Amino acid sequence: MIYWGGNPAECHPRHFTKYTIMQKGKYTQNGRKDRTMVLVDIRETPSAKAANLFLQIRPGKDFELITALRALIKGQRVNEDAVNETGLPLSKLEELVAKMKAARFGVIFFGMGLSMTRGKHMNSAAVLMLAAEMNAFTKFVAMPMRGHGNVTGADVVMRYTTGYPFGVNLCRGYPRFNPGEFSTVDLLVRGDVDACLVLGADPGATMPQPGIDHLAKIPTIVLDPKVTHTSRLARVHITTAATGVSAPGTVYRMDEIPLPLRPALKSPYPTDEEVVRRIREAVKRRPAWLPGRNGKAVM
Amino acid sequence: MTLNIVKNATCTFCGCVCDDIELHAEGEKIVETKRACSLGESWFKHHTAERLFPDALIDGHPATVDDAIERAADYLVAADMPLVYGLSNVTCETQREAVSLAEMVGGVIDSHTSL
Repeated sequence: MIYWGGNPAECHPRHFTKYTIMQKGKYTQNGRKDRTMVLVDIRETPSAKAANLFLQIRPGKDFELITALRALIKGQRVNEDAVNETGLPLSKLEELVAKMKAARFGVIFFGMGLSMTRGKHMNSAAVLMLAAEMNAFTKFVAMPMRGHGNVTGADVVMRYTTGYPFGVNLCRGYPRFNPGEFSTVDLLVRGDVDACLVLGADPGATMPQPGIDHLAKIPTIVLDPKVTHTSRLARVHITTAATGVSAPGTVYRMDEIPLPLRPALKSPYPTDEEVVRRIREAVKRRPAWLPGRNGKAVM
Repeated sequence: MTLNIVKNATCTFCGCVCDDIELHAEGEKIVETKRACSLGESWFKHHTAERLFPDALIDGHPATVDDAIERAADYLVAADMPLVYGLSNVTCETQREAVSLAEMVGGVIDSHTSL
């Protein structure tokens, strides 16, 4: 298993023990001893201690490295000088390719160090291609290391309701998908949207400044268990029960396994689900933006 | 005060979504989180059922939930291109409602995935 651009030891503390290297499987009866773990990152994080092979690469060279690996697994010639640019000698790459091909079942877990740095979705696409091409030799999959609780659920729900996983534009009454055009940061930085409903997120603390500036300019509505950074610049804030602590429901694990929540507390606030439903009902009572549209939401 | 023990509780702090946590709740607080990691423990202990915040705020002033919902609906209906964003720390049931709302107001819906 390859962890790329992530630090599970600190960011997903139980990933190793509960799901990956330490668990005993049908074909990995000895648990950790039957597994090889490789960590690819730009700095030596605490996760490196758990790895059999740690590859420290130069920042922003992920795409180049993946491209070189894709060539090497197919036995093509690569330019040694170009490989050295990534911060790793060709021999290390060959060692990695040998380990990958020797695996009976390989997995690449890629983190934000890959998907949020130079190259962004091109890096993610490259790593998925690498995993796909490895299937000519052995079973190989790739999985993103999801940060927030139910972000996987958001992908799943949007996929089965609209056909696309994120950044879905329903302005024409049917779904359109184009990351870069309909993704939040781009919409906000360009100033395309003229109202925003934020739930289960705090963009006021994480977005680039021009995006935050635009959120402050337009009517922003926030649903959150706390008064957040975003709430302070929003026109409307509604306090809701905390998901999983005092609000029940279903969430998806990062490997797309749905799990039920078992809340331990009873909140004095309504749940997000209830508030969104009530906003939807309130919208329904107003004139439709498209004739004949209201009340016929496709679920 | 009675101790409410919830077995096999699910933690939603990170994408691991560990579902083997044993929670001990006393009144409005969670006092013990067995098997949770350090991140999960602080997540559960941080969120209490106390009434620490106003029910709703409109333009920074305390308001009722009913008024806030009406105001939210006004803004979303008036907008030409509203955006529904986030969806990370909410349930799938909420996400379905949000997709339906986005469709009804003719907007864009997006999650943390696109960041």
